[in-house]
Parts: sequence; structure tokens; C-alpha cells
Amino acid sequence: MSATAYGTPSTLRHVGWVLRGNPLTALAAAGAALLLFVGVAAPWLVPYDPIASDVAIALQPPSAAHWFGTDQLGRDILSRIMMATRLDLAIAASAVGISFLAGAVIGAVCGYRGGRLDRTVGRVVDVLMAFPLFVLAMAMVAALGNRVENIVIATAVINLPFYIRFARAEVNVRRNAGWVEAARAAGDSHLSVVLRFLLPNILPAMAVQISLNLGWAILNAAGLSFIGLGVTAPTPEWGIMVAEGARFITSGKWWLVAFPGLALMLSVLCFNLLGDGLRDILDPRMRT
Amino acid sequence: MKIDRRTMLGGAAAAAGLAGLPGGAQAQSRAETMRQVTGNAINTLDPTMLGSTREAFGLSMNVYDRLIAFGRKQVDGNWVFDQSQVRGELAERHEVSADGRTITLHLRSDAKWHDGTPVTAEDIKWSLDRCVSARSLAVSQFQTGSLTSTDQFRIAGPRTIQVMVDKPDRLALHNLGVPYAIMINSTLAKKHATAEDPWAQAWLQNNTAASGAYIVETFRPGEQVVLRRNENWKGGVDGALPYFRRIICQTVPEAATRANLVERGDADLSIDLQASDIDSLRSRGRVKVVSIPQTNGFTHIAFNTRMAPFDNVKVRQAVAAALPYEDMFKAALFSQGRKLFGATWEGTPPDASFPQPLPLRTDLDAAKRLLAEAGMPDGFATPFAFSAGQAATAEPVAALLKESLGKIGIRVDIQKLPDAQFNTAAAEKKMPFYTDAGTAWLPATYYFFYLYFTRDQRWNFASWDNPRITELANKARFEQDPAAYEAQCREMISILAAEKPLLMVWQPNQDAVMGPKVEGYTYQFHRQVDFRDLKRAG
Amino acid sequence: MSGAPPDGASPGTPEEAAAAAAEEVVRGTGGTHHTGVLSGIGRRIGRRLLSSLPAILGVVVLTFLLMRVLPGDPAVFFASGPSAGQEEIEALRRDLGLDKPIPVQLLRYLGDVATGNLGRSLTTGQPVVTDLRQRLPASLELTLCALLIALSLAVPLGILAALRPGSPVDHAVRFVCTLGVCVPTFVSGLLLIYVFYYLLGWAPDPTGRIDIFAATPPDITGFLLVDFAITGNWEGWWSAAMQLLLPACTMALFVLAPLARMTRASMLAVLGSDFVRTARSVGLPRWRVVVVYALRNALLPVLTIAGIVFSTMLGANVLVEKVFSWPGVASYALDALLSSDYAPVQGFVLLMASIFVLVNLLVDILYGIADPRVSME
Repeated sequence: MSATAYGTPSTLRHVGWVLRGNPLTALAAAGAALLLFVGVAAPWLVPYDPIASDVAIALQPPSAAHWFGTDQLGRDILSRIMMATRLDLAIAASAVGISFLAGAVIGAVCGYRGGRLDRTVGRVVDVLMAFPLFVLAMAMVAALGNRVENIVIATAVINLPFYIRFARAEVNVRRNAGWVEAARAAGDSHLSVVLRFLLPNILPAMAVQISLNLGWAILNAAGLSFIGLGVTAPTPEWGIMVAEGARFITSGKWWLVAFPGLALMLSVLCFNLLGDGLRDILDPRMRT
Repeated sequence: MKIDRRTMLGGAAAAAGLAGLPGGAQAQSRAETMRQVTGNAINTLDPTMLGSTREAFGLSMNVYDRLIAFGRKQVDGNWVFDQSQVRGELAERHEVSADGRTITLHLRSDAKWHDGTPVTAEDIKWSLDRCVSARSLAVSQFQTGSLTSTDQFRIAGPRTIQVMVDKPDRLALHNLGVPYAIMINSTLAKKHATAEDPWAQAWLQNNTAASGAYIVETFRPGEQVVLRRNENWKGGVDGALPYFRRIICQTVPEAATRANLVERGDADLSIDLQASDIDSLRSRGRVKVVSIPQTNGFTHIAFNTRMAPFDNVKVRQAVAAALPYEDMFKAALFSQGRKLFGATWEGTPPDASFPQPLPLRTDLDAAKRLLAEAGMPDGFATPFAFSAGQAATAEPVAALLKESLGKIGIRVDIQKLPDAQFNTAAAEKKMPFYTDAGTAWLPATYYFFYLYFTRDQRWNFASWDNPRITELANKARFEQDPAAYEAQCREMISILAAEKPLLMVWQPNQDAVMGPKVEGYTYQFHRQVDFRDLKRAG
Repeated sequence: MSGAPPDGASPGTPEEAAAAAAEEVVRGTGGTHHTGVLSGIGRRIGRRLLSSLPAILGVVVLTFLLMRVLPGDPAVFFASGPSAGQEEIEALRRDLGLDKPIPVQLLRYLGDVATGNLGRSLTTGQPVVTDLRQRLPASLELTLCALLIALSLAVPLGILAALRPGSPVDHAVRFVCTLGVCVPTFVSGLLLIYVFYYLLGWAPDPTGRIDIFAATPPDITGFLLVDFAITGNWEGWWSAAMQLLLPACTMALFVLAPLARMTRASMLAVLGSDFVRTARSVGLPRWRVVVVYALRNALLPVLTIAGIVFSTMLGANVLVEKVFSWPGVASYALDALLSSDYAPVQGFVLLMASIFVLVNLLVDILYGIADPRVSME
């Protein structure tokens, strides 16, 4: 797979071809765009204040006034789901963003320099990899306190090893390629070679992973909420809404879990299908 | 060959169990088996072990005998414990001397340990000594009955034991009936005692040396305990045996699953379901729901009275006036339970009972005025904490509290802490403002005040130090004159109502959900199931 | 970095694992081993075990420190009886050695671990080693069954998709598998219970490994299905299998996607290779080409993924065990973590890390044995 192949007109044609041949990816892209829109515009779109309680109308099934029903405190579930989109996307994006940035830089530097630094980082990555990751996330959130930023950090840390390894391997393969040698010969510093030439070239391959991880980060936050280590009430967040709603399944109040669950599921689905589609786009064998 | 024979017997027993007894016999054994499901774990067979869970206390009531037991009474058609009735369990009778300083207990002549050996006064003395000497939870409990030294327990005859106190403590006798006061087969236990562990605490954690109504058949900590009836038990009312022959007590962490199990008839009883499920279970009518207010417990919202701004009584009063009690009660408990807010009296309470509703009412104008008088007209910011284990009820409370306090300018940051963290912070008095709950095993008014509002200790939730309360609580403890005692109690309640170190908001219901034919469920002071109370209607 | 998949990026989630392995396959770097004879394998096992020791040590130390950072104090939590005072708390703290400085505690703990003592659990009151030994078979049995279910669904689906890439079948397979990974396991678990136990009554009550009223099997291996089979008790076997079904399906749903995707990618690569083209060109029947030639070669990367998925599942099935009251190691660790009970969490993490190493090793060996290129060298 030649690194310079990305971004050429043939690639664009290829993207178009893949999207046409793969309606799921197009659908997923549209879904992701919609999510993004809701996330950004939620404060202006919500029909009710997502935090304000009204115990008099608690636990009402879906109706014309409250399309998705109301929760234990009489809050409008639709409004809460819409507001939660913003927080969940933010959690997912920042967690994946941190692990990607940190992982790519550390990995790239290790792959480029090699030597003792590489070995040391490799050891640390080995340790992280051998950890049962969900338990690591749980322990970190429990230790740091269950605030949004700590959930982000925990999610970022458990993804970090993958990005480090990936970036390291990609850079390692390329560091002696002709065009890298050429850049170095032209007087570019090592740092600039890594930042300007090597990192951008591994970005597309990592995009697949980023997309998959976005979905997974949302699931991770939901799992943490289920065991009581998630975002604290009254902040609306899908995971905690699902986790709390799941406990109402038996009492027949299905709307408490169904709608937030659906929102969560659809967003994870979008990110996963998108990642899948990206993989096809990047897969050289699909072009022939 | 010995081994071969044993394997063969084991195999035969297993085969009998599996091949299935004749249909009738099997149905019979299921009817006489009680399966309780609970979200928590039984972690020890010795309730006095540091770290034992509440479920372990409950289990020990069924496995071990105490010298005395409490009676029960019917309130609104439900059975509730009654500590005004004290009957003998291992002791067949007891006398309290006229000066109230000596309790003489006479052991049953026919009482036997599970291994068939007779119960002796030496066993009893050893067991009582263990309660005040071994490093265990029993020590501080026994202190509340002025029982602190082995010298206070004396063998007065082959089947007679005397308990002596310096001053006539109101609860000396009652302490002999709490879960910690287990009577142990000392001959058996001593075989497993070591130099470092003279009280056999390590062994008793996983084994029993008891005489109670049930014998432990299998014990898998954190998973399940199976009990079988002790056919030689004599400690019941009129010597009657409990109804159920077999008890299975199983840990099922998910509350929704527990509700499903009971509703489908696969389990017989659960006492820790979610308030949200109770309503729908009741309305579907496939199970029996017994709801009993936890008369010896309370849910509270506590201020740390040693931390600014809550050291200021005006601030506490302002917060108290700003809370939406009715809404919280409805959202958290679905209005199931006994309110401890909304009383209309001012000054002195109508009676000396406790907990009783205090004059807590929502009045935002008064709240704003009080806050201004406290010098904080613009409010302040404070965290508000609760433990994850109580999230089902505390989360709505916190959300409503945050919203309501926001109206008078108090900005609340809600903190949901994992149980261990919450308990640590509570014990170290690090939280300025939080909600928690308490249960008093021996619910006398003075005991509540002594336990929850005096001394620098874990259960003084508000870290309250009011000299008058301390004085009154200590006086009431040894007060022999009923009228004087009542006056002291009333004064303590009125001081509490005025000073508001913590706000007792309600007594939640104990919701016991059981099969339609299970009868006799009793709300016990330890809040656990006493299987000896239960039976299944034919 | 050696090129073999088990050494390569073996990331945390099944998703990532799939991505990593797919990458390996695409580049064709999978399976470049150099040793073929048995002694070579033996040497490699030794070397691998030795080289994984530092990682295990790192895991132990890191877990230890992480637990000490937890703001909860186990002594306070566990001495919180209705009347426990400061004295009981101090006593328990001394008992647990928590009054010593952290480095001393760490050294003492490492010494204990080296002698096989993982401490005592406050939650159950038992030595951690005993607890783990009792509970590990439950977790392993559940995870293995889940993996088998997932494989038996994912492999055919993957093949189906690979035979017609880009077709509606391909998209449908992808969609269905991806759906599985989108539902949090606690939701799918609770839903399955609600439908199959509560509403339909088909499944037995979801409370552990065996019907509570049935006789327990003799404890031979701890794997109920095996124990029942050994004793020839098929009724018991059936009851245990039924208990296992719902939780195993819940877990299987979640790992369907990576396995199916891997099968598809690997099949595609093999179907496009020279020897399959040759086989086709000589007129062998299509099914024969697919099953005998293509599938056999395509299964190796799937095996790798399965190994990774297995060790991931074992650590990540906390929520499934919780929902189904499964007496496994993960729910044990979760309870301990939430009550700041240090020893069980540390023991659990150590166990998981060791299993991770062993499974990787096993996959590596199997790979070495099965890969024809290895024996040719």
C-alpha cells in the first residue's frame, strides 16, 4: 500500500464507488452527521428543559406532549436524550482524540527512533495490554472520582496501547522509504520528518480505528454507568439513562430504557458501520 | 474399605437426589423449602467479625441462639418486632434485681448444641466473655449496655449465669438479644482456638458451634447459604419448631432479576427490591407484598456542623426550609413509607417517641430570609454526596434538592461516590452535606440520641456537639423515673428540631415481596429475615 | 516487533483486535515463523514465558498502586457495623497491614505473591486463591461456550459474506453482526432474561450455574458440563447447559462482529490466492474449493482473533456475570473493587494477565503447528 496514493483523484472516485456499492456506509455517514447536528444544536431544539423536574407528571408513557414519555422526576425523556447526545459525543470524541494524539505521537517517535526508548515504551504497552481493560477503566474512575473528565481519561488510557503500537508499526515500515530519506536529505529535522511526513501518512489507516473507537467509547461509558461509576445525575447521558432505565424493564416502564437505548445503539452502529466503510475505502484490494 | 464406602454413599445420595424422589415427596420438600434472594452477600458465619454484612447478622439469628429473644406484635395487620416483650431463648427465664444492677438468667435444662452436647453455664460465660474481649464488633455494641468487662459475667450455678452492671443501664438486658450476642459451644470452639486467636475467630468465620433453629449445610460466601432445620431446637416460643425444613439464601445482584424470580414463583422471598418495582408487582397481584415502615430506621440529610457554612444554624435552617420534602418523598419512595417531615407542632413535641415527624416544611421565602440573616444573601456553593449503593433513592433526592436550593442561590454539586469511598469520607467527617440512613437495633429515644448525636464517632453523622444533648442523653440512659425520662427525651427532640444538625426526612418501608402463600413475615430490628417467623399456608 | 499476529498488536476490544488482525492479513505478514521442530517450540515457549514476566510484574505493581490510590479505606468500609468505632477501624487496618508505608506494603505483597499467597478477601472472608480457584472454572466455561457459539455463527456468516462481497447478503451480514456489538451487554442480558425467562418461561431462572434445587455435581474439574459428562449424569448436564445458554448468547452477540469480519477478510484473501484459482481452474466443485481449500487456510487468522477475543471476553464479562448472578471471577473482582477490597482485585488482575499471556502463547503454538509454511521451512 503506497503511502502517497491517498488524496489523488482516483481515491475520490474510489470513495464514490465504495459509497455507491455500500449503502450502509452512506447511511452511517448520514446518521453520524445527524448526530453531530443534534449534538451541536440540542439546546435550541429541545422541547423542554432536560433538567427541570415536575414530580406531578413522573413516569408517564409516551404521549403527544412528551413523545418519549417522562422519567422518575417527570423530566422529558426526548429532551434529555437530545441533550445527552452532546455530552456523549464530547466524551467519545475527546477520549478517542486524546488516545489518538498521544498514541500517534508516542508511537511515531518510538518507531522512528527505535532503541532504548522504543523498548521501554514497548514494555509499558505490554503491561497495559495484559490488563483486563474494563476493570482497568473501572479502577481508574473509582480512583480518580466519577467525573466526566475522568471517564474520558480512563477511556483514553485503555485505548492508548493500540494507537501506540499501530503508529509505531506504520512508521517503522516507512522510516527508510525513499521519500523519507529524500526529506531528510533536503535538510528536514527528525521532528519535522515525523510530524510532516510520517504522521499524516498513517492518518487514514487510523481513521478506521478512530471511528470504531468512538462507538466503543460510548458503550464503555454506559457500562461504567451501569455499575455506578458513570456520570452523576442530573446530567443527561445515554449510558446512565439506559442503566437506570434497564432496571425498570420488569415494572413494564419500557420507554425509560427503550429510547435512550435506541439512541445509544444507533450512534454506536453509525460509528461502527462508518469505520467498516472506511476500511473498505482504504483497502487496496477493493480497488481492482 | 472406608473411602470406598463413603464414595459409594455419596454417590447413592446424589443419585437419589437426581433420579428424583417420588413426585409427592419432592413437591413436599419444595413446599417446606424457603428460597430467599438478596442483592447482598453473606460473608461470614460469625456476625461479630469485623466487616460482616447485614445479611450475616440476619443469618446468625437463625443459626445461633442468644440468651434472650424479643417478641413480635401486629401493627396494621403486619408483624413487627416488639422489644417490650423479652422472652428466654437459651435461658428459660430471667430476673432483674430490684436495684436493676443484676440480671440472673436460668438456662434451659434440655438445651443442646448442634453436636448434641448439653449447653453449660461455662459455655455461656465463655461466649459473653468473648463479646467483651475478642477484637470484634460486639465490644462497642456491648458498651451501650454498660457491659465492658469479663468480671461482669458470673457463673452462679450449674445452669445459672449472672450479668452485673454498676449502674442500672436501660439496655443492659436488651444487649443480650442483639445479633452479636451469640452463644457458642465453647468446647468445640476452643479446639480451634490458637495462641494468637484465643476466641477461635478464624475458625468460626467459616464454621459454626451453635444451638440455633437452623444448621448450616453449605456456606459459599458471596453466593449462597443452605440451612436445614435443627430438629432438637428448644428455643422457640413454647418449644415449637420453625415451619421450613430447608432454607436457601442466595445472592442475586440484579434487583430486576430478583423481582422476576419471586413473581414467577422460583424464589419465595426478597426484601431488597427496588421501590419502583414494588408498585407494579403489587398491581399484577401474583405475589404478596408486605410493606412495613422501618420504625427503628431513618433516612436523613446531614450537615457537617463543624464545617463552614453549615456551622451556622441559620444556614441549616435556611436549607431545611428550602427542601421540597413532598416531591422528594414521591420521587424517591413513590410515597411509600412514613414521613418524618411536615409536623405542625412548635417548641415541644407531643410525645417522647422517636423518630417522629419534626416541623420541617417547605417555605422558600423563609429560606431566603434565613440565608440573608446568616449573611449570605447570594447563597454559596456546596457539594452534596450520596453512596452509589443508595442511588436508586438518593439520586432523585439529590436532583430535586439541587434544583430547589438553586432557587435560593445555593449551588449544589452532586457527588455519587462508590460505597467504600462514601463510608470512608463519612467516617473521616470530610463531607459537608450528604444523605445517608441509619438503623438503631435498640430503638429507645435516648439510644437514638446517644448513638447518632453525641461523641466524636462514625455514627454522629452531623459531628454535632451540643453539651445539653450529651448531658441529657447520659442522664436518660440511667434514669429510673419514667416521667423524668420522658421529659428528658422531649427536651432532646425539641433541641434537635430547633438546631437542625441533620434533617430526618422519612422512614422507608421495608417491602418484603413473597409468594402468595408465605405467611408470618416479621419486620425485625436488624432489618433481615428471621426464617423462624415464616411459614407456608397449606 | 515480530510479525506473528499473537505478538503483534493485540488490542483491548474485539473490534480493535479485528482491525489489527485484518491489517496483518492485508499485509500478508501473518505467520512468518522460523521454527518447526518440537524442540524449537519448547524453546520458544520457555522464551515467551520468560519474556512476559516483566509485563506481569508491571501489572502486579500497577494494580497495587492503583488500589492504594482509591479514596476508599477498606478498614472503614468493613468495620462499619452499626456500632463500630475508631478502635475497630484501627484494628482492622493493622490486621491488613495498611498502617505500614506503601513501599513496605508493596514489598510484602510481592513476597506473598511469589509464594502463591494473594491475601484474603474481606468481602467473602476467604483467601483470594481459594475464591479464584472456585470461581475461575465458572468464568472459563461461560467464556468458552460463548466463544463457541459466536464462532459457529460467525464463521458461516463470514464465509457467506465473502462468497458474494458487496452483495446484499454481505451487507446484511455486516449489519446484523454490527448490531450485536452496539447493544451494551447489560441491556441485551436483561432483555434476554425478560423475554426468555419472565415472559416465555423457556429459560431456567437466571441465578448462577445450576438449578438451585438440583443436586450439585461432584467437584472434579469445576467445569459443570465436563463433570456431569464424566459422571454420566445427562439430566444434570442438560440443566447446566440451559443455565449457560442465555449468558453465553449475551456474550456471543457482542463478539460476533469481529469474528465474522475476520472470517470474511481472511476468506476473501484466500479465495483470491493462486492455489484457489488453480483449484478452480482444474474444475473442482465449488463447495469443495471453498470448504477444503479456502476455509482450511482462512481459519488460521480467525484462530488468532478467537484467542484474543477469548482473553478479552474473560476480563470484560463483568457485566454479564453481574446480570446473570454468575459466580465467576469478574463479578467477584467488581464487588471487591466497589468496596475497596484490595486483595481480590489484585489477584483477579494478576490472573487475567497470566491467562492473557498463556492464551497468546497457545495461539502462537497452534499457529506454528498448523501453518503449512512453518512445516515447509
